[in-house]
Amino acid sequence: MDLERSGREIRNLVLNAHRLDDGDEDHVRLLLAVSDVTDARAAAKQKDDLVREKAILLQEVQHRVANSLQIIASVLMQSARKVQSEEARGHLHDAHHRVMSIAAVQRQLATSSLGEVALGPYFKQLCESLGASMIHDHKRLSIAVTVDDSVVNADRSVSLGLIVTELVINALKHAFPGHRHGAISVDYHSEGASWSLSVTDDGVGMPTGSRAPKPGLGTGIVEALARQLAGEILITDAAPGTAISIVHDVKATVGQDLPAAA
Amino acid sequence: MPKPKAIVLVVEDNPIIRMGAVDLVIAAGFEALEASDATEAIKVLESRPDIHLVFTDVNMPGSMDGIKLAHYIADRWPPVKLIVASGQTVIEESQLPLGARFFRKPYDDGSIVQAMTAMLFAGTNDSTGVTHVGR
Repeated sequence: MDLERSGREIRNLVLNAHRLDDGDEDHVRLLLAVSDVTDARAAAKQKDDLVREKAILLQEVQHRVANSLQIIASVLMQSARKVQSEEARGHLHDAHHRVMSIAAVQRQLATSSLGEVALGPYFKQLCESLGASMIHDHKRLSIAVTVDDSVVNADRSVSLGLIVTELVINALKHAFPGHRHGAISVDYHSEGASWSLSVTDDGVGMPTGSRAPKPGLGTGIVEALARQLAGEILITDAAPGTAISIVHDVKATVGQDLPAAA
Repeated sequence: MPKPKAIVLVVEDNPIIRMGAVDLVIAAGFEALEASDATEAIKVLESRPDIHLVFTDVNMPGSMDGIKLAHYIADRWPPVKLIVASGQTVIEESQLPLGARFFRKPYDDGSIVQAMTAMLFAGTNDSTGVTHVGR
């Protein structure tokens, strides 16, 4: 009930009455508890308001980020459609894929509350979007994603997502020349602090020696991000095709980390 | 005589995104019209009864956002197909008129073109006379 007194603020009271049953039916006794919950209610309301305000702000920020990424994506796609050179067009499409890869993280983050990203759904979304824009014949080429239930923070997810983007783009571009059929698989699994990310294709394999192409921006991006994540890049002949793995093995690197901590 | 192209109205307040959307519509082989808010879009629709599809943003200045605009169009011009795009995460296709498609920003141009083509193709069966002009 609300307690109203002239000249004073209304107080919110909670009344709680219990009948005391002590077997004496002629003299019924009641226990009446009165609590003043005015301050507690005001504090709870303020907290609710703050939580609501924070959620609205967060939505607003996510909306702005999405819009900004849309502006970048729109500009890149317009230049890709306008340029005459096939090579320049390829580079602009790659840049667009990189932006969309980061946008996919934003989407995953928007649905999580802790700033953490589940890699399984993220990599699936990423590869679906890469496949949608780069694979024209889905009977010829496919991408499979096998990821355990690993969850990582936003920064790591951006780095891992960009590595996947670069390696998948690279495989789609170079592993299946002509009308060669093939499959790409993206795998990630972790155990304790150790983890391994690999992108494997069953294509023509990488040319070696003097026929090896000069490393491009994609290679540079993968190397820089692998270093940041303390991962080692392993390239193996999957016969047929190529497997590229980024591996962080805690047992192998323990001890090496210590001197570097100075 | 070449067959008439499908006509798509792009509604978007951000000039760069609108430019990009108009460009993707033209590159897909359709004809593009543009508006920067719901009021302008309704004016264009009133003057051009030959519009087949409206591709609209959600957050725009003015009294009507893209979702309200979509419902308004569905009521007043039922044959017009609708594609809605927004960076807001809270929107779902269930908030839109039946048959409308929703895409989250940043959208992939290829997916939008695919959706437009599919929706305009579906329209050929109910005598709107739309012809797909290839991608």
